[in-house]
Amino acid sequence: MPAAVTISQLNKYYGIYHALRDVSLTVQQGEKVVICGPSGSGKSTLIRCINRLEEHHSGTIDVLGHVLDDNMSRIQEVRREVGMVFQNFNLFPHMTILENCVLSPMLVRGTARKEAEEQAMHFLTRVRIPEQANKFPGELSGGQQQRVAIARALCMRPKVMLFDEPTSALDPEMISEVLDVMVSLAQEGMTMICVTHEMGFARQVADKVVFMDQGAIVESGAPTEFFNNPQNERTRAFLSQILAH
Amino acid sequence: MANSATARALPPISPLKTRLRKSFFPTPLSGAISLAGMAFAAWALWHLFQWAAWNAVFIGTAEDCRAASGACWAVIADRWRLMFFGLYPHEEHWRSALGCLILILVIILSCLPVFWRPLRLAVLWVCSLAVFILLMRGGVFGLSYVGEERWGGLTLSIFIFCATALIGMPLSIALALLRRSSLPLVSVVTGMVIDSVRSLPLVTILFAVAVVLPILAPGSSGTKIMRVIAGMALFFAAYQSEILRSGIQSLPVGQDEAAKSLGLGYWHRMTRIILPQAFRRALPPTVSQFAISFKEVSLVIIIGVFDFLASGNAAYGSGEWAFTYVEVYVFMAFVNFIFIFSLSRYGAYLERRMRVGK
Ligand SMILES: Nc1ncnc2c1ncn2[C@@H]1O[C@H](COP(=O)(O)OP(=O)(O)OP(=O)(O)O)[C@@H](O)[C@H]1O
Ligand SMILES: [Mg+2]
Repeated sequence: MPAAVTISQLNKYYGIYHALRDVSLTVQQGEKVVICGPSGSGKSTLIRCINRLEEHHSGTIDVLGHVLDDNMSRIQEVRREVGMVFQNFNLFPHMTILENCVLSPMLVRGTARKEAEEQAMHFLTRVRIPEQANKFPGELSGGQQQRVAIARALCMRPKVMLFDEPTSALDPEMISEVLDVMVSLAQEGMTMICVTHEMGFARQVADKVVFMDQGAIVESGAPTEFFNNPQNERTRAFLSQILAH
Repeated sequence: MANSATARALPPISPLKTRLRKSFFPTPLSGAISLAGMAFAAWALWHLFQWAAWNAVFIGTAEDCRAASGACWAVIADRWRLMFFGLYPHEEHWRSALGCLILILVIILSCLPVFWRPLRLAVLWVCSLAVFILLMRGGVFGLSYVGEERWGGLTLSIFIFCATALIGMPLSIALALLRRSSLPLVSVVTGMVIDSVRSLPLVTILFAVAVVLPILAPGSSGTKIMRVIAGMALFFAAYQSEILRSGIQSLPVGQDEAAKSLGLGYWHRMTRIILPQAFRRALPPTVSQFAISFKEVSLVIIIGVFDFLASGNAAYGSGEWAFTYVEVYVFMAFVNFIFIFSLSRYGAYLERRMRVGK
């Protein structure tokens, strides 16, 4: 089976700032990868390159057989297959929860409204908030909004899901309700790339943990190896910091 | 939710007497100022009432008016047709009146949320403007032909306003999006067009389209009213596009990114996600832009278009009623006030409605 995402020798600059340095990463279908690292290390930049929210300057990114470049229709094709969940939820505040969920399937996939709504209710039930379908995002708690954001992405039936610190903007008591949804998604075999500092989640579902620092991948490995026997000095320092509190 | 809100203790309300005392007589000095202010207001109101109602002449001749000390509303009764319909042929006034009513009706209809779909609004406006033009111009269905140069009065003012907004609004959206284009050439050129138009006074633009354009391109530039509408629409669009752009720029970038990540293309992102939110945010300045444009229609008088203001001037300008210019202007101000005040109340209603998220 071909890999879901293959990144090789990726470089990315913001002006003269070298944000990603020769990053290579392969994610197999069904694999769950957790990316961690200190603030500013390029984690968001890396996963935003995967659906071309950021463009890279050298190296190649192959997503489900599409090699990303300036070709807009190829980018659209990749975005159709790759769902993304953001730190700030980014629900569309002028639409109801249901509208948020049916919009893209109807416009991009051409799904009929009735079918799109049934599918939306299916995923809203899966994230356990079907009763909120007709509310507006502003009327929901942060945890509920993030679960809607996951459901909205799932409504496109993506093959790969990207998560950029999905729990960082949440109050502690809401983190677990979002993580629970992510765990069950992982158990169903979704290919997932998660930037997160939730190390419990990483231990539980990750097939591979990647540590980034200063725009480069410093270390990566299976979670047991990674947590119990980190090789790199910077990884050890980071882990001791993050596991301390 | 509503229940719990009402059940919660309301803030204590002090008796009316205490509240009045607090707002008007907190100290002797402000008490004195309040009293003086109230006395002046009462005096002014009394005189206004005497002039505008008690001693006024509502129906009669110019002679009756001269004999009375109050306002001469008789001029309105005598000349309202001229003010509303301008030089439109007298026996065809019903067409102008009907046209005016159609436009007002369509304005009211487009204020209703049911019509807030680009397609519905477009169909509504294009159809009704076509009907309006057929009705006013005639030459078909047994209606006699009336050239645009004879249109006038309030009907013409409202028509110019509607057409300006109808052309200017889509144009402003296009300009706002072009100015945000990622192609530097497109955005720079659009920016230059917008800024040049904004740095010219409307009067200059009107002169350019009414006087200069026919000299530069004789015969191929449409009627004067069409050119005036084009000029006003351009001016409207230059300002409105910047209002919209500020609305777009105030949105969090995450909105566009989320839409991109869902696979939505540029048009869908703009029409479903970005513009609807930008319009909501830009609502207050948009309403005032409409009000300004409505008032600016009266500037067309300087290039000889016979709008509401010009017709008003004509209404008192003919000898016998010459002394009644105050009454005529008060009346025109009142008509303008009705339109613009309704507009701003509507704007306030929209803001309240949108705070809910709809
Ligand atoms: N749009 C931008 N323009 C310029 N520099 C940027 C931009 N976005 C990110 N950077 C820089 O690139 C570096 C990597 O940013 P990135 O957001 O990928 O970090 P991160 O690992 O996700 O950090 P965090 O944990 O704080 O989210 C940072 O130093 C940041 O300042
Ligand atoms: Mg980040």
